[in-house]
Amino acid sequence: MASELTTQSYITHHLTNLTCGKTPSGWTCDPYKVDQMGFWAFHVDSLFWSIALGSLFVFVFRRAISKNKDASIAPSGLQNFVEMSIDFVEDNVQSLFGSVKNTLIAPLALTVFVWILLMNLMDLVPVDFLPVLAGHIAYLIAGDAVEWIKGPESLYFKVVPTTDPNITLGMAFGIFILTIYYSITVKGFKAFIAELTLHPFGKYLIPVNFVLEMVNFIAKPVSLGLRLFGNLYAGEMIFILIALMLFFSSIPVGLMGFGLHLVWALFHILIVALQAFIFMALTIAYLAMAHETEEH
Amino acid sequence: MNINATLLAQAVVMIVFVAICWKYVYPPILSMMKEREKRISDGLEAAKKADDSLEEAKLAFDKELNQAKAEAAEILEKANARASQIVTDASSKAEIEAEKIITSATKTVENETNKAKEELKKQMSKIIIDTTQKILDDEISEEKHNDILKKAAEEL
Repeated sequence: MASELTTQSYITHHLTNLTCGKTPSGWTCDPYKVDQMGFWAFHVDSLFWSIALGSLFVFVFRRAISKNKDASIAPSGLQNFVEMSIDFVEDNVQSLFGSVKNTLIAPLALTVFVWILLMNLMDLVPVDFLPVLAGHIAYLIAGDAVEWIKGPESLYFKVVPTTDPNITLGMAFGIFILTIYYSITVKGFKAFIAELTLHPFGKYLIPVNFVLEMVNFIAKPVSLGLRLFGNLYAGEMIFILIALMLFFSSIPVGLMGFGLHLVWALFHILIVALQAFIFMALTIAYLAMAHETEEH
Repeated sequence: MNINATLLAQAVVMIVFVAICWKYVYPPILSMMKEREKRISDGLEAAKKADDSLEEAKLAFDKELNQAKAEAAEILEKANARASQIVTDASSKAEIEAEKIITSATKTVENETNKAKEELKKQMSKIIIDTTQKILDDEISEEKHNDILKKAAEEL
């Protein structure tokens, strides 16, 4: 890794995941061997933050219950927040799902919403803060033992899981599986296949129908994952570019970058919450579609 | 943009978190919220009931109060009437008594006057007779004398 900091290396550094995978010479996290890893590689940073924030969600919500089990005491603080989130999710599920009873939908929607919101919020942490911290810690602990850690900057560390398409598409994939599962269990296998093959042109054009419906069917999870990824990736990218204004330019441009950073961060709060909400709403909508039994 | 096994790992992680939420997080919170909701609606209902019964009690109280007031007024009226009756009775009795006293007094006075008059007449007649006897002396007989007396008494 080049020791001098250039614009390009700065951007690359921020857009590369800490990837661990199997190479012909064994398991490694060496960023220069990513090409040899193939499919069986893991973005350790994305997964770390994803699991950490998911655990935070479960911890906070569990804490709200254990703290105040008695329904006769007025809720306060954390519990209010938790109940507000649940009310919000319940309302959305109610409006999209109506009468269909499925106890999984609301918890799923809540998990997806809070989890994605937390992951998106990582975008508001200043772009260099956690990567540099992680790099220094890694260098301090493993600098001598691990061959590829040559300095604090040789460790890649992306802190916003939702800017990793693997994370967003992974969640969309999970929802896709659930959609198929409920489509088959609620409608029956036959009706599910019929839905994919008998529309829109009737039974004489089954291949055409299948191709059209398949595109529609696959597009849903892909667009679900890519929408979230795209929005957050773009947001992160702009934060990185603004950060570049601060470090690589003259003082007036740096000051302008400071103001821009504030403005973009404020605007980004909206995107953070909106994208989490959209993901949740679409999750509920897709699962509601899977439960719709009538022909359309 | 490189897709790798992270995608599958994330899908698994998601399934785990959703399962945890489904089993251990969501139901207890929801049931607690439902319970509180029920408690609040019960409380509101009870409050409404209490309000209603208070209203009822107020109405009953007002009714009772009005009745008592009416009764009191009636009693007062009766007492007043009785009092005035007593006063009227007493005054009329007194009047009658007074009249009686006056009448009897008048009668007594009349009687006394009559008696006195009679006495006076008698005395007057006697004086006159005596005087006349003295004047006439023996000229008049006992018979005549009585005759004159009678005439004089009649004239008087």
